[in-house]
Amino acid sequence: MVQSSMVPEPCRVLEAIRQTPKEVLLVVAAPQQAPFQPEPGQFVMVSLPGIGEAPLSLAALPGEGTPEGTFELLVRKAGRLTNLVTRLVAGELLYVRGPYGRRVAWDQFEGSNLMLIAGGLGLAPLRPFVRRALLRRERFRHIDVLIGARNPDELLFRADLASWKARRDDARVLLTVDAASDGWGGRIGVITTLFDQVHPETEDAVAVMCGPPVMYRHAIRRLLAMGFYENRVWLTLERRMKCGVGLCGNCQMNGLYLCQQGPLFSYREVRHLSEAV
Amino acid sequence: MEHEIYRFPRERLAVLVERLAREFRVVGPVRKAADCAWEEVRPETPLALDYPTTLLPPRQFFAPQRETLFRFRKTADGFAFETPAAERPVALVGVHGCDLTGLRVLRSFHESSCRDRVVTDRLDQSFIFGVACWVPCMAEAFCRDMGSLENEIPADLYAWDFGEVLLVKVLRPRGRAVLSDVGALQAATADELVTLRRRLRARHEAFPAHLKFAPAKLPVALEAAHADLLWEANAERCLSCGRCNLVCPTCTCFDVQDVASIDGTEGARVRTWHGCQVPGFSKVAGGHDFRPSRTEKLRYRVFRKGKYMPERYGMVGCTGCGRCFKHCPTHISIRDIFRQVGGAG
Repeated sequence: MVQSSMVPEPCRVLEAIRQTPKEVLLVVAAPQQAPFQPEPGQFVMVSLPGIGEAPLSLAALPGEGTPEGTFELLVRKAGRLTNLVTRLVAGELLYVRGPYGRRVAWDQFEGSNLMLIAGGLGLAPLRPFVRRALLRRERFRHIDVLIGARNPDELLFRADLASWKARRDDARVLLTVDAASDGWGGRIGVITTLFDQVHPETEDAVAVMCGPPVMYRHAIRRLLAMGFYENRVWLTLERRMKCGVGLCGNCQMNGLYLCQQGPLFSYREVRHLSEAV
Repeated sequence: MEHEIYRFPRERLAVLVERLAREFRVVGPVRKAADCAWEEVRPETPLALDYPTTLLPPRQFFAPQRETLFRFRKTADGFAFETPAAERPVALVGVHGCDLTGLRVLRSFHESSCRDRVVTDRLDQSFIFGVACWVPCMAEAFCRDMGSLENEIPADLYAWDFGEVLLVKVLRPRGRAVLSDVGALQAATADELVTLRRRLRARHEAFPAHLKFAPAKLPVALEAAHADLLWEANAERCLSCGRCNLVCPTCTCFDVQDVASIDGTEGARVRTWHGCQVPGFSKVAGGHDFRPSRTEKLRYRVFRKGKYMPERYGMVGCTGCGRCFKHCPTHISIRDIFRQVGGAG
């Protein structure tokens, strides 16, 4: 007798692409035991037996810019598990369960302007939103993609950035770095300095943000001042998780379980929670 | 009476244990140095039914302190997984009202948030023999206030101890089957039932009321007291040891770790009890702690019991057993916090 949902499935690493000295993008064959049909904003529990398990956001969904039957994860070296996962090579196995987390109905994001905002590693969970919005381009008015990084060396998904920028009629992609290095000809400043340059009509506009809490505190204030509705500003939160299925309690924030009611929330859903942002 | 009540001669307790042992791993309160603990009992084990509350609550038999989720073994290609074999269901003999309530809360939690049924299966398969308390087992208990004193659910059989004879109520059909097997299906006499009613009235007086409000008001009262100084005043004494979490009958949080052989070829993924009062529980990547201070941690624990659990699972998460209060090295009292909060509401 055991939590069968705590037993992972071996999934083959198909490709390991180094992004920066600290980060690797893994292309992984999707689990087979149950339909694997994640929505943007969902996550998987990833493990190596003997080392441990951790939640990781999906950086690409099957069939959306990555082949059917595969998904992608961006892994940053932080602890023992992620150190070993970033060393995996094609053909090796990663152990996966999920997808977990709330499935927010996609049509909630459609119908008006869309502003997608990523800070640092937040670009990984935001990437499925950008990709799906571009796949269903006709359902939006303007799309603005705002991306911030600490410095140019930490900019992730450069191939995506180039291909998104190439679709200049479909989306405006703006980059900024907190601190420049030699050769950087782009903008310098925190991400909110880009907010003046987005399409100004905010009637029914939707913003989706993935980034650190400090970015949320400033960005939310700006978005509300711009006229965004609180229930149309979405953000993903991050907590330690040990189960993904609402049992272990590690991710509980006030009365909510991040793994079940999140990690994607509208600002209205969490604004009153002292432990949220 | 709507329930069947039978007279159960005390010496038959050994027969009851023997009968239960045919199907179950039988567990009862066993006296230790200064405390009592739930341990496996045999027919000859003396059962003290008026024991002081055990250090650890019976949740250890349904969500064990340390549990193997699965074992792994390296093969030619990756790892093979093996889940533990089904274990013998447990029979608990002598469960007091506070711990019966704790099992109800455990069920309400696992029924609402569980995708698997591991804990509810164990609860379903277990046999519970509840026992009424006549006097408070310790000064810290406030079971009457929390509605646990009179709670009989989820017992299969529920007993009032009259010394030589116990009056035993059948709450579930399989309870009757067990009574029948041990030859204890003699109905209580009218006199005995009158005595029972009289003693139950007298018992109410023996348990002082500590709270002036019903537990159902806790969510609203706590919300109103969110910014009160009482959290800081109490948390100043907190040593962050997490003992309150370990002894609580309704704490459910756990940690998961892999334990592997030195060459990493075999091992197990294991879950162990964890607690929201322990430093590090609310830390996330990058070292950020979303509930950093002892004040916030204490408030979170009390809110989880008194507000989040009733709102989410329908049952208040405090049974009034008094364990967290009794075993706290600095004697932080959830009962006093509730009392203060009630005053505020």
